[in-house]
Amino acid sequence: MAQPTAYKDRQFLAVIGDEDSVTGLLLAGVGHVTSPPDAQKNFLVVDQKTETSAIEQAFDLYTSQRKDIAILLINQHIAERIRHRVDAYTQAFPSLLEIPSKDHPYDPEKDSVLKRVRRLAGE
Amino acid sequence: MSGAEAREAVFPTRQVLGQMKSKLKGAQTGHDLLKRKSEALTKRFREITRRIDEAKRKMGRVMQIAAFSLAEVTYAVGSGALTYQIQESAKSAKFRVRTKQENVSGVMLPAFEAFQTEGGSDFQLTGLGKGGQQVARCRETYARAVETLVELASLQTAFVILDEVIKVVNRRVNAIEHVIIPRTENTIKYINSELDELDREEFYRLKKVSGKKERDAAAAEVEREAKKSNAQGDFESQMEDEESKDLLADEGEEDVIF
Amino acid sequence: MEGMFYNVNFGFIEGIVRGYRNTLLTGQNYNNLTQCETIDDVKLQLGPAYGDFLSALPPNPSTSALADKTTEKLVSEFRYLQANAVGSLSKFMEYLTYGYMIDNVALLITGTLHERDTRELLERCHPLGTFETMPVLCVATNIEELYNSVLIETPLAPYFKGSLSHHDLDELNIEIIRNTLYKNYLEDFYQWVNNHPDMAGTPTAEVMSEVLEFEADRRSINITLNSFGTELSKAERQKLYPSFGKLYPEGTLMLSRADDLEGVRIVVDMVSDYKSFFDQAGLSQGGGGGVGNMSGGTGQETKSLEDMFYQKEMEISKMAFTHQFTHAVVYAWVKLREQEIRNITWIAECIAQNQKERIGNYISVF
Repeated sequence: MAQPTAYKDRQFLAVIGDEDSVTGLLLAGVGHVTSPPDAQKNFLVVDQKTETSAIEQAFDLYTSQRKDIAILLINQHIAERIRHRVDAYTQAFPSLLEIPSKDHPYDPEKDSVLKRVRRLAGE
Repeated sequence: MSGAEAREAVFPTRQVLGQMKSKLKGAQTGHDLLKRKSEALTKRFREITRRIDEAKRKMGRVMQIAAFSLAEVTYAVGSGALTYQIQESAKSAKFRVRTKQENVSGVMLPAFEAFQTEGGSDFQLTGLGKGGQQVARCRETYARAVETLVELASLQTAFVILDEVIKVVNRRVNAIEHVIIPRTENTIKYINSELDELDREEFYRLKKVSGKKERDAAAAEVEREAKKSNAQGDFESQMEDEESKDLLADEGEEDVIF
Repeated sequence: MEGMFYNVNFGFIEGIVRGYRNTLLTGQNYNNLTQCETIDDVKLQLGPAYGDFLSALPPNPSTSALADKTTEKLVSEFRYLQANAVGSLSKFMEYLTYGYMIDNVALLITGTLHERDTRELLERCHPLGTFETMPVLCVATNIEELYNSVLIETPLAPYFKGSLSHHDLDELNIEIIRNTLYKNYLEDFYQWVNNHPDMAGTPTAEVMSEVLEFEADRRSINITLNSFGTELSKAERQKLYPSFGKLYPEGTLMLSRADDLEGVRIVVDMVSDYKSFFDQAGLSQGGGGGVGNMSGGTGQETKSLEDMFYQKEMEISKMAFTHQFTHAVVYAWVKLREQEIRNITWIAECIAQNQKERIGNYISVF
């Protein structure tokens, strides 16, 4: 069970997504860049050229290293590229959310959480 | 069950039997309570799974609308440089979440709550020359979409935590039901049987003793009888008559007092 | 007659541009496009107009890839014209590219401020706005260096001079820099077409004045509307208004004092065109249909003010082709082509996202 201290300081959202999704979410005001010496962004733009290892690295950074992230949003088609990592992720914090992107409509079948929901709902 | 023959290593004494009985009682109460807790949580859990399902679908729609409003911005501004500029001008998160707690049957479920910090957006001048209205609209649409996402995220966190908690509770329920209770019952049974055994032994011993005593007594009686019949034959019958007279005299007196 | 010797120098280019104009998509083409089910269909429909440029696209390309390719065609045609242009037309076309340069410079400044990888930045620059020294911009590591050694060398230097010092670059919002530059650019362009001996008093000056005045007014109105509720002060706002156009000087003065939509409406009442835009956009009922109120992005019947302005711009551009012996056709063609790219992107976007009900929002003038 999560200890209260584990999520008291978590107040940001992090995004791993394609350019349009990230832009939109940034417009909503989720973007945060930490102060200069080690300027860390809380978003990562992924395109065809982005290495899968870079996505994994960002995933690790947001899920385990940074303690101020409450929710991690990840485009479903990007989650697909690191599916094994996403499926293996069971922590409550930060909460991992797969979101649809512009070019890839939402497919409930692939969502790791929804899969668990389905399984537990007895289907 | 694994515990068919298992029992606790105790001395079969009456005191331990008492302890075991109260332990059994405790285990049963605990089992009932946990079972009820598990049911309450499962109910909540089912509700959450249902809502997650709904929310996920809703998210699909909301995100689509939001993505479309971004397309409008691109149309109005007519340049791809905008997205880059937005990425670069992000500085400090205006949209943040805070965590509240909700108590469901003793389980602390965190719930995210979105809030916007004071002060202007980093992007308020974006699209000043053209497209500013679309940008503003897109910002609002996305802010709403993110709120939906935050809601979904808190449901999902609740889901993960509840899932964990329910597993733990169910494990406990099962442990009590299938291990602790049978084992305690076995122990009680064992103690009882041991005690019975002791009882029987005691009884047999007593019987043996009393048999012996009886036999001794009978032998002594026979001896005495033989002596008495020889020496004073009527003495005993005379004594019995006197006693019955006394009793009658007592009753008479009581009547007078009344 | 001013047209007597026009063709000696510029006839070829004008002919080419008129030819290009005829390949622009017509209402019929757009109708066909809106019937498409997939991006592949769109690609097919665009075949006659964009054939070579689209062939490299993978099946079912993303809308942004489609936009890139269509822009590529515009750029290559523009480059061809530019290579053939001489004298004042060559300079005129340079002026056209300055607008894009401003966007690129703004982008590069943003990038430099955040110490981005500059190669990535260059890829994102608008191809029409590239200039020789642009890659050098990336060498600069801080703003002062950027200003002193690099920006001064660019064609945009005159626009920086006098209005922006290097101190402004890191403090001012990049949008204000951009708009200041754009204002200076518009004013300069306006002066140039009206004073250059080749053009003063010719149809070029006449048409371009109309176009630029419209552009100036549009910017003034947009800046005013978009600055409501932001940190931009009125004095700063006034500095961003170009000093010509139908609204200048009374209108811009009033705009600079406007506090809300109502204030803007009073200003635009002076010009019948803009007044009718406001009426149609539903902005004139005392702010009833406020700027930010058009929420959701779906099922919007009325056109937004931006749409009206685009529509008007297209009409002006179309009218430019009724004049002969003028450089303005080049400008008009570029604008029409840009709108066409936007239209295609929009239609493709609607199809890709299954939002067919708004697919008719494109602007077609032919």
